[in-house]
Amino acid sequence: MFDEMYSDDAQIRKHYLQVNSWLRTMSSTVISQKNFEAESHFKRIGITFSVKDDDMTERIIPFDLIPRILTNYEWAKIEKGVLQRAKALNAFLHDIYNSGEIFKAGIVPKEIVYKKSSYDQSMINFSPPRKIYSPIIGVDLVRTGKDEFYVLEDNCRTPSGVSYMLENREIMMKMFPDLFHTNRVLRVDDYPTRLLQTLMSLAPKKCDSNIPTVVLLTPGHLNSAYYEHTFLSDQMGIEMVESQDLFVENDLLYMKTVDGPKKIDVVYRRIDDEFLDPLCYNPDSVIGVPGITQVYKTGGVNICSAPGAGIADDKAIYIFVPEMIKFYLGETPILDNVETWRCERDDELTYVLENIEKLVVKEVDGSGGYGMLIGPKSTKDQISDFSTKLKSNPRGYIAQPTLDLSSSPTLIDNEVSGRRVDLRPFCLVGEKVQLCPGGLTRVALNKGSYVVNSSQGGGVKDTWVLAD
Amino acid sequence: MLSRTAENLYWISRYMERAETMARLLDVGYRMSLFPNPKGYHNEWDSVLSAAGAAQGYFTKYNEINQENVEDYIFFDEENPSSVYSCISKARNNALLVRTAFTPEAWVAINKSYKEILELKNKKFTRADLPNFTEWTIQQVNMFRGSANSLLRNDGYHFIFLGTFIERADNSARLLDVKYFVLLPTADYIGGNLDNLQWIILLRSLSSFRAFRWAYDGDVTSTKIAHFFILNNDCSRSLSFCINNIVYHLNCLKCSPDKISDIYSGLKSVHNSVKDETVESIIEYGLHEYVTNFVSKISFLDNQIQNHFFR
Repeated sequence: MFDEMYSDDAQIRKHYLQVNSWLRTMSSTVISQKNFEAESHFKRIGITFSVKDDDMTERIIPFDLIPRILTNYEWAKIEKGVLQRAKALNAFLHDIYNSGEIFKAGIVPKEIVYKKSSYDQSMINFSPPRKIYSPIIGVDLVRTGKDEFYVLEDNCRTPSGVSYMLENREIMMKMFPDLFHTNRVLRVDDYPTRLLQTLMSLAPKKCDSNIPTVVLLTPGHLNSAYYEHTFLSDQMGIEMVESQDLFVENDLLYMKTVDGPKKIDVVYRRIDDEFLDPLCYNPDSVIGVPGITQVYKTGGVNICSAPGAGIADDKAIYIFVPEMIKFYLGETPILDNVETWRCERDDELTYVLENIEKLVVKEVDGSGGYGMLIGPKSTKDQISDFSTKLKSNPRGYIAQPTLDLSSSPTLIDNEVSGRRVDLRPFCLVGEKVQLCPGGLTRVALNKGSYVVNSSQGGGVKDTWVLAD
Repeated sequence: MLSRTAENLYWISRYMERAETMARLLDVGYRMSLFPNPKGYHNEWDSVLSAAGAAQGYFTKYNEINQENVEDYIFFDEENPSSVYSCISKARNNALLVRTAFTPEAWVAINKSYKEILELKNKKFTRADLPNFTEWTIQQVNMFRGSANSLLRNDGYHFIFLGTFIERADNSARLLDVKYFVLLPTADYIGGNLDNLQWIILLRSLSSFRAFRWAYDGDVTSTKIAHFFILNNDCSRSLSFCINNIVYHLNCLKCSPDKISDIYSGLKSVHNSVKDETVESIIEYGLHEYVTNFVSKISFLDNQIQNHFFR
């Protein structure tokens, strides 16, 4: 297992030296007090999430005081790799909704794409501004060695968690200002500004203003990411709207303001495709805007991300991303995919069933760490139950090797102990393609666990990228 | 600014202001109940319920009037839409919906009040707790108003204070009405001892007794008090003060000049009723009639604001 702080010969890595000596100065009383301080802060501002199987009770995500540190060298690779991926994914989306070159070249079988419910047929032959479908891409990365980073999945719809990246940094700077004097940590607090610039650069053709009007569309305060919606709108200084604030007239989208109707140019939507427009998608949606798709298709408004962008982060499409990079960009992939077996193929299913105790098996449409089997961590009964499910619906599953996720020093009962982590940086794709130097580091707080999801015992850390 | 946001801000401050009035009203009743009344006249709680606009709701739930029930109904009852609890919880819900139009401190102030009243609500209380509840409520509302100072001075800020002063104008008028309309139904009492005592209690409940002493020389008379609460621009709860502030905040709005001038024409008549009047002419006309008339003009103004900006 790769340890982020200790090298193989048990030496502290250079970029962790400062943090390590800081850790030694903290008594367990101070740690408890700082933990309490952080927790009260998160409670007060209401940064909560809902848990599926717990009557939607609001909880605070546990925050670990020890930052996860990446050197500038390590980051350079991640940055190049993520930017490359983000460009390729957008090129792929444009291609599959237009001329379909990648099908003709025989790289991706078109049946796989066409059969997916996330493939939106109404988007065929339509091209959004700058041909960008997914302006915000969250790429989930794991590390298994010094130079070994793997992409676990891409999130091309409305990846969440960026508010944690920003709030975690805020609380760290507030509680431990000295740490930021002794370490040169690249800033992340300009992310909202960059996000706004990105969205403004994606104004539709009918926008006649130099300063496009951008809004954030939220499903409302019952949504588990509502805090993030309010936080981002607030930081960008844009209106956070709900469906009842919006209406369509003469192929334009307006919001109702105290000044009368105001035209909207770009909608950063945080609602799912199917709820966007009851006239076009789910007719029962009460959180969508009737007629918004018509406005979109006629260039009156841009919807970010584009309807149908979700096909690009489908687990069945994931395996083709390295090929996409070669095909669209003519480049060699910088970040590797995790080896993946598609259970719909007979030979691969056989392999998976024979080696299931070594593999991680996931539902193709699952998320949040639910509906998956971690072979090495499961009992015989669990494995046999899962194998039965797998055999009855092979198309619904993929399998991957159990990755030995890197471990990062974490405070457990006020003692430092290694826990496994992943990383989600947030890539912005507009006029510029850019990556904010930082991201969301999730940590599996249970000893030996691989599951970093907040719904299942995961916590978060501040993520540092050092300037030099 | 979104219409929905403006509407929410307007109502947050109305609810917070109303919570304060309700608490102060209870304090009036409480103080009055501590003094011996001549002629066995003991309907102070009745008058409190009328002034709170809660009499009808109260009597569908209770048959008789006593302090515990009135206190519970006006402070904590969820079924009473104007109880302090209902007001704070509605203000908090509205605040949740407009968090982007609020600074973190304004949100924290309201959220904290809500969390605390939930706790208070579940505790057993005694008669003697009432002054503490009142004090607590006034503190919460002051905290909210103080935190509103951190807001950007945009239309949202002015909608908050439009709500505050519309609600206060309405509430101050109703408080005055308790005095004339219910407590002293006949003119015989005016100027008598009881009258003075009750006026003073009213002043104290509005935290205005000292202010009144500073503002007027000599005896406490009903004419002076009426002047203080209706026409004195230095008294922060007077009808005149409220109207001046409504005019001010309306003029500060940057949106829709044509809508504002339309509202302003409706505002004129209520403005005149505090600007060009003397306290003698009001009393001659009838304080109750004057107040009723004032309340209906405020309600018209409120309708205009809602129709012009929030629809």
